[in-house]
Amino acid sequence: MIQFRLDARSGVSTYLQIVHQVRHAVRLGMLRPGDQLPTVKEVVGSLAINPNTVLKAYRELEHDGLVEGRPGVGTFVRESVGGPPPSNHAALRRGLDRWLHAAFAAGLDVEDVRALFETSMQDLREEGVA
Amino acid sequence: MTAAVIAAGLGKQYRDYWALRDCSLEIPEGRVAALVGPNGAGKTTLLHMLTGLLRPTAGQVSLLGRTPGDDSGLLPHIGFVAQDVPVYRSFTVAEHLEFGRRMNKRWDGDLARARVERAGIDLGQRAGSLSGGQRAQVALALALAKRPDLLLLDEPLASLDPLARREFLQALMEGVVEGGHTVVLSSHLIADLERVCDHLIVLSASRTQVAGDIEDLLGSHRILTGPRREVGRVAGVAAIVQETHTDRQTTLFVRTNGPIHDPAWSVQEVGLEELVLAYLGQPNATALPRPRLANTGTEVSR
Amino acid sequence: MIWLTWRQHRMQVLVGAAVLAAIASFLLLTGFGIASSFRTTGLAGCLATPGRDCTLVSALFNKRFSGLQFTIPLFLVLPALIGVFWGAPLVAREVEQGTHRLAWTQGVTRLRWINTKVAAMGAATLAGAAALAWLTSWWSLPFVRASDDRFSRGVFDLRGVVPVGYALFALAVGVAVGTLVRRTVPAMAATLGSYAVVRGVVEFWIRPHFAGPRTVSYGFFGSNPRSGLGDWVLSTRTVDGAGHVLARGQVLDINLLSHRCPSIVLKGEFPFNQTAVQACIRRIGLHLEATYQPGNRYWTFQGIEAAVFVALSVGLLALSVWWVRRRVA
Repeated sequence: MIQFRLDARSGVSTYLQIVHQVRHAVRLGMLRPGDQLPTVKEVVGSLAINPNTVLKAYRELEHDGLVEGRPGVGTFVRESVGGPPPSNHAALRRGLDRWLHAAFAAGLDVEDVRALFETSMQDLREEGVA
Repeated sequence: MTAAVIAAGLGKQYRDYWALRDCSLEIPEGRVAALVGPNGAGKTTLLHMLTGLLRPTAGQVSLLGRTPGDDSGLLPHIGFVAQDVPVYRSFTVAEHLEFGRRMNKRWDGDLARARVERAGIDLGQRAGSLSGGQRAQVALALALAKRPDLLLLDEPLASLDPLARREFLQALMEGVVEGGHTVVLSSHLIADLERVCDHLIVLSASRTQVAGDIEDLLGSHRILTGPRREVGRVAGVAAIVQETHTDRQTTLFVRTNGPIHDPAWSVQEVGLEELVLAYLGQPNATALPRPRLANTGTEVSR
Repeated sequence: MIWLTWRQHRMQVLVGAAVLAAIASFLLLTGFGIASSFRTTGLAGCLATPGRDCTLVSALFNKRFSGLQFTIPLFLVLPALIGVFWGAPLVAREVEQGTHRLAWTQGVTRLRWINTKVAAMGAATLAGAAALAWLTSWWSLPFVRASDDRFSRGVFDLRGVVPVGYALFALAVGVAVGTLVRRTVPAMAATLGSYAVVRGVVEFWIRPHFAGPRTVSYGFFGSNPRSGLGDWVLSTRTVDGAGHVLARGQVLDINLLSHRCPSIVLKGEFPFNQTAVQACIRRIGLHLEATYQPGNRYWTFQGIEAAVFVALSVGLLALSVWWVRRRVA
């Protein structure tokens, strides 16, 4: 059973942090297909956050096909976990490295890069892509 | 979504001053609402009028469809923890639970006992010798065990140390999951409120200044920064709440009505504390929803 | 609500019961002795025989028990203690400590809250006061018969039914004051003061006028022909034949007489000429007048005074209930 952590100063909203932590756990094998996620009551009782936040996170994970909710029982990791096949990751990584080199060469520093990334993410989120 | 609490032009006048004036708000069911405002803004007055401890001198209020009062039949549906958490100092914790059982028709004694034990409190201890955090846990247990529809908490976190605050909020949130209560919680500690609340009411100068779901409010406010200039109309900005200038930079705290793509401005999201402080610093600014009450006469938000 | 009332007030009730038990024990222990002394000194027999002068035996009897004088002020104060310790804290302590915000937001209305508390403490007050009044009346009976006085101030207050009225009134004053003042210690002080003032006003200014007083005249050197009838003598005056009041009480002013009767010559030393003095007294018609309430009005007066205080109590309690419901927060 995984335990969630909340970083109140990260600027990332709470429900997203939960989503990320579940994805991360699945990726690393800490959550395996069929495992149960902590109940809303357990999460709320340890983090002292609004239950709707947890529900929203679990709903998003369900929408993305990572988990499934069984009414009256709990939320469970799906048997078959979707996601892009590993080969795409390598290509995407290389593309990212090239872009970063270009950005640093143009004179941006780490903070500029971060700001640019956040702004783009925000725009894409508003457009419904991210 | 039905409303758990509706207030229209609510006011309380004493001999020479108004403790609360022209307060209008609507709290939907199932929300955990934060009631925020400076001291003397009328938070306690508002909560006391909701519990029936005080009678309004102006306006109307309805709770779960009924008007609060001594004989309204609302008492079994409300759980209340007053400011400074009053307890009977000479009663033991067990006697407080007995008090709850005797004074309430609907009473979940097992829930009360479980909550108290989970907080690590000895049932035989006199309430007068409990710490502030323990008293708050007992009072919360008493309120939750009534299985009320509405929980009203008047500054329950004040005078609690950080650990006690965290434990109280954990217990409160578990209670909300179990019981599905609507909660109204007043506090100064906005960081704590941001974790647990999804609805915000700001009372300032005894009036409602801000009211709405926190997600909507945070989504509709932004901070714009840019080089110092005279500010004209900006596309996407519905109102400028606060405007500050240094010799090089202009910062705007705005309420939006659309996305802001103006490249002259750098746009950032806001946190709850920033939002509350910005409005408290500008008493004439408001962020109120369109009222759904037919007879309030409140003007539409600008 | 009954459980809560008992749990909150049990100390008060237990202490009250203990005090009552202590006083009752004292009364019982001494009472039998007093009654027996009443017989053995022969006073009982003397008083039962008409026409006999029992003043000497009475004096002996009273002297024997002069040490018990302290009981009068004690019993006068007792009802006030009910007001101070039971009445004043009833609402005041709850509001002062803020627990009313806990008690009035459970499932019990404020009306039921105050009605139950007042009814419970009122019933305890009535029971205790009635028991004590009955016991005190029994205990003090020999003294009353020896002095032929149950109607005068002080004695009237301790016997019969009025103590019950006083106790209930004290409770009501306490509750009302506590509801207004909302802080326990000031409420206790104000209760004591208000109780004393009202009792004083009724006793000194109103009680003498429950019914029109009567007057009886008798000779200057004679004795009140109505003695032995248990009257409450309100005042005695020295009056001349024309009705002019010459002095309060039985006062023989030789200077006055010598002005009115030239035959009395002031020589500056005793004894005066007795015959001349007596002749003057007869000539100017000097006599005594007593204003009184007849002894057979005793129970009427008891009833009226008790009713007055019960009516005040009911009014004050109703007011307290109204205040708690409508105004206190």
